[in-house]
This record gives sequence, C-alpha cells and structure tokens, in this order.
Amino acid sequence: MKIKIIWMYHTLMDLYGDKGNIEVLKTRCQKRGIDCIVDTCAIGEDKNIDDYDLFFLGGGADKEQNMIFSDLIQRKESILEAMNHNTAFLLICGGYQLFGQYYKDQDGNIVDGLGFFDYYTESSDRDHRCIGDIAVETTMDGDTFQVVGFENHGGQTKDVNQPFARVLKGHGNIYKGEYEGFMNDTVLATYMHGPLLPKNPMVADKIILRALNKRHKVDSLESINDDLENKAREVMLKRLLK
Amino acid sequence: MDIKLKLVQLTHSVLTKLKRGGSFPGQLALAMDENFIDRFTMPPIVICVTGTNGKTSTANLIAESLRSAGLSVMNNRRGDNLKYGIATLLAANSNSNYEIHYNAAVIEIDELTLYRQFKHLKPTHLVITNFFRDQLDRAGEMETIIRKIEEVTEDFSGHLILNGDDPNVVRIADHAKNAKAHFYGVKENEVSQKTTDEASEGKFCPRCNAPLIYDYYQYSHIGSFHCPNDDFGKHIREMLVDSIDYKEGTFTIHQQIFHPRLCAIYNIYNCAAVLLTMKLLNLDLRKADKVFKEFLIQEGRNELFTLNEPCVINLIKNPTGANEVMKYILADDEEMNVCIFLNDGVQDGCDVSWIWDAHFERLNKPNIKEIICGGTRAYDMALRLKYEGLEDKIKVFEDMSSAIHYLNEANTKSYVMSTYTALHKARAILEKEAKA
Repeated sequence: MKIKIIWMYHTLMDLYGDKGNIEVLKTRCQKRGIDCIVDTCAIGEDKNIDDYDLFFLGGGADKEQNMIFSDLIQRKESILEAMNHNTAFLLICGGYQLFGQYYKDQDGNIVDGLGFFDYYTESSDRDHRCIGDIAVETTMDGDTFQVVGFENHGGQTKDVNQPFARVLKGHGNIYKGEYEGFMNDTVLATYMHGPLLPKNPMVADKIILRALNKRHKVDSLESINDDLENKAREVMLKRLLK
Repeated sequence: MDIKLKLVQLTHSVLTKLKRGGSFPGQLALAMDENFIDRFTMPPIVICVTGTNGKTSTANLIAESLRSAGLSVMNNRRGDNLKYGIATLLAANSNSNYEIHYNAAVIEIDELTLYRQFKHLKPTHLVITNFFRDQLDRAGEMETIIRKIEEVTEDFSGHLILNGDDPNVVRIADHAKNAKAHFYGVKENEVSQKTTDEASEGKFCPRCNAPLIYDYYQYSHIGSFHCPNDDFGKHIREMLVDSIDYKEGTFTIHQQIFHPRLCAIYNIYNCAAVLLTMKLLNLDLRKADKVFKEFLIQEGRNELFTLNEPCVINLIKNPTGANEVMKYILADDEEMNVCIFLNDGVQDGCDVSWIWDAHFERLNKPNIKEIICGGTRAYDMALRLKYEGLEDKIKVFEDMSSAIHYLNEANTKSYVMSTYTALHKARAILEKEAKA
C-alpha cells in the first residue's frame, strides 16, 4: 500500500514546527510497511492536487500567508476536484482560515477565502488573542478521544457548523469558545499546533486511514508502540484538566 | 533628594545585603512612578544591546572591554533585560538626584522592552546582533518585532551598530534616516556553506520582496546576501573578520589576531560587534582581545563542571541557538552523553513546538551514547528525538536531580542543553554533584 502526500508551500507556511506533522505521518506509515511519498509544492509549481491522497497546508506568518494566497486561489479547481475524489485534507491555522469564506483583518480589510466552507474569520483585538495550551475532545470517524496542543491565533473563526472538537481547556475557534476547528469526512482543519500529530497519534492514524482510503479499502491500522506519545499527552492533560 | 528614589535604593541595598538580587526594586519604582526610567541623567555614552541571540554575551564583552580600556561602566551583567531589571540597574547606580556618574552605561535590552524604553534611556549607540524566529507565544512574529524597532529608531540620531550579515538587522538602517549606520560581518570561512536547511526568516528583500541571493551562509540566515533588483545588501562592513582558525581558536582582522575564549561562529559575530563599538569610541582593540581571552561570558554559556567526567552546559532557547550549540557538541568526537532540559515557563516560551524547527536529528551520531531528557516537557523532547530514530538512546527523568546524578554516574563526558528556567536549577545541581 502507498500514500502520497502533497505538502503545500513548505518553505513559507512552516510556522510553529508544523513540519513535525509530516515527520509523524511518514514514520507511522513506514513502521507499518506503508509507502509514504511526500512531495512539496511551491508558488507557481505545476502539480495536480488530485494525484495525491493527503493535502497538507500549515500556518504561516502574515507576510508569508499573503504571498501564497494568490497562488492558492489559482489552484481552486484542482483542489475542489481532489476534494470531490475523497482526498484527505489536514489544514493548520492559516490553512484552516483560507478554506473558509473570508478573513477580515484589524483594519477591516476583507480577504476572500477559497469559500469551500461556510465559516469565516475576523481578526480580534490584542486582548482577545487565543494563546496557550489547549485540550479538546473529538469524535473522529467513530472514535472519541482527547487531543492536546498549543493555540496561538488572533483570528476568530465563526459559523463553523461541523467543529473538529469540543474544548475542554483553552479557547478554540473563538476567544473562550466552546468548539475547536472544523471537520467533515475528509477535511480536518484546526488551530492546534504543538505540532498536532506527535502527541496525538490517534489523530495521526485517523488521517493516515483517510488518506489510504482514497485508493484502498482499509478499516484499521496495525497498532505500534505509542508509550512516549501517550506519556507526553497525559502530562499535558493532567496539567490542564486537574 | 527624591523620596521615591531613596526608597527604591534602600530596598535594593537591603536585598543585596541579604544576597538576593532580582528586579523587585525596579518593580517597586515603576509602580510608584511610571516615568521612573526617564528621570535619570545618563552617562555620556549609553550603549543599548538588543537582538534575538547573543545579547548578554555581546553586552558583557562590550562592558568589560570598555573597562579594560579604562572607562567606568555600569551594566546589567546578568541579563536582567526587561524594564524592571533596567530600572533596578539605574536606581542602584545613581546618586539621590537621579544622576549616574559613570563614563558609560551598557544596557542589554529585550527586543520587546526596547520598543517602550529606548527613548527614555537616551542611547548614543544601539547594537543589534540578529533577529531569529524566537518564542512566538511571547514575542509574536519576528516581522512585528522588526517593525516596532524600525518605528522607535526612526528619529534616532546616534550610532547604529548592525550585524551586516543579517538582512533582518540591515533593514533597520533603511528606516533610521538620521542615524549613523555601521555594519560588521565575517568573511567566508570553514563553516560557510553555499546552501542551507536552517534559514527560516529573512528570505526576501525588505525593499522589493524579491528572494535574496546568498553567496554563502554562516549559520541560519546569517551570511553574504544581496538583492538581485536593488542595492540591498551592498553596504560596506566596517569591521570585517577576514579569517577564522578554528583549530587555533583565533580570528584575524587586518592582520591583527584575536583570541576568543569560545571560537564558534556565533561568538565571532559577537566579538565583531564589540570591536566595531570599540572602534567607534576610538578605543584600543587590543583591550577587547584581552577580554575575549579571559572573560567568562556568562553562567551557563559553555560553562564547564567537573563531575566524574567533564560536563559542559549551554543555554538553548530557540531553533537557531540550539542548532549552534549542537554544532559545537558535534565537533567533539569523543564518546559522550547528552542531556536536554526542556521547560515551558513563560521565559522559556510556553509553546515548545520550536524543538521541531531545530535540527535535533544531528544528534544521531555513533559517539553519542545516551540522550537524557528532563524538564517540565521532558516527554515532548523525547518524542522529538524518537521521530529522528533515536528511540534506543533516550532516557526520560521527570526529576532534574536524578537526571544529572545519572549523567555523573555514567562516568562519561557529557553535554547539557537547557532552556532558560531550567538553567539556574541545573547549574545548582551540577555544582552539588561536582562536589559530591
């Protein structure tokens, strides 16, 4: 078996160690004998998104995010085609915002998003920045579990009809909010850094399964040793949920 | 006489007698008077030192070099570089009329504090070492910090002493039209490389946004760069290190040889900043070399502890700093153990994801026998190493004393890397362990 990952704008959208997510996906595939090919896609590079099983777009600083945006808009049809063919999507922070209706910055300027989903994002004032460790509970593809990470975003994302998770501690989509991220059957979009996947192997495996199921029929993955992963998550859960 | 100042000074001298340093007096001062820092008559020379990495080392080397050249100098040696620390420093060194009678003040100042305090300190010289991606939760994006510094230096008319090999620092000169900008740098040498996997910021020309072209990189995005479209990067470096002899531990400028105690590329940059400052003050550069040779830069910076076998400890706080410390460790081919303390206190940065941006995979080297992980986020560190295939070498200790004791009992040479809030404790345990 094989999965192909396309890692978008990896030199620009690489804030907060998000590349760790790719490391984790690769390693967890390799340990199970699944071929994992990771291609990168830079501004202007000719890539057919639908050739891939997983689309990964991380967060970037404002300046970098503005640089990639016109390139991303030009790929809209290609992304939509991939989405319709059950490609899995993992979108972090800026990537999450860009898939919604629009982003309104502090000066009131509106940048249109790709418009795939109903949610939109508005910049907050300084005092309402969502920042700190976060713990959430999600039900992902039939399983319920707790997830930890670090959030650091000014944008307040509203009108999310299918959140990724319920907030146990932290903010989530909006300052002191109840829900975190967006998720449907193929797309997981979240503000959670950390990076997200190392300490949350359940999420990593669900994403691998989603990607595998574009071309194969797979119900579960062989279990591997996650002692350190679980320990790192438990330390944070214990601290946050005490 | 000012009663508030007197009270602050009294508090400081009592605390000092009790052998308790800290910045409480400054906190008290600023609570009583928010313009406290602005009230002082400063010395004729005020040198502020800021940047992401190397602030404390550079500021201390400048202060000591000035002293060695015969000037009386006050400085915040321990790197209390936030407003309370600086207020404490000023109060402790002034008379009862807010007058500071020294020839010079050398003030290390945090990048964010600089924005609010720069004008109050009335600096004559501003040294900027570098700008790297740092603790994002505390500092925000690097771009925001640079813009703020551009803002406060806009009408600065003193001397800017800038790292001419860092595009993020060089761009400050574009905005500070009234200042006299001076640049330092280092020529291509043994560690220079044509390509890099370390640079994360400063990839684009600040004037036209074109990708910068590098002739070589020294480390991270520090190197010889220019813009293909405009003059950015064509500045003259007034203090330029011609060559470095890493084996001898020396570097050369215009045939003059210098002897840094720590001959690592990032420290050569610190030395170049010191030498350019000395030159602008018309002081003898040989006085600085004496300091380079003899002065222990700071606690926890390449500091040696004699356990059963030698143990060297270094502070790490962001990807670039960690990469440079690792290069230093990896230059040693002897059998060794490595110990990493990762904390997530406010001063460390609560967000530990930076460890995924640092090149810890380089620790995958046969002479490194074990890697001991400790600190409040020990398991995050262990996990980072696991994903580099180092699983078999990892040991996690939740308690720092046990970690260091284990390190000592292993009877193997060791290197410790520690984040800021774990450093003090690690040093105390090492001292105890060294005596035992």
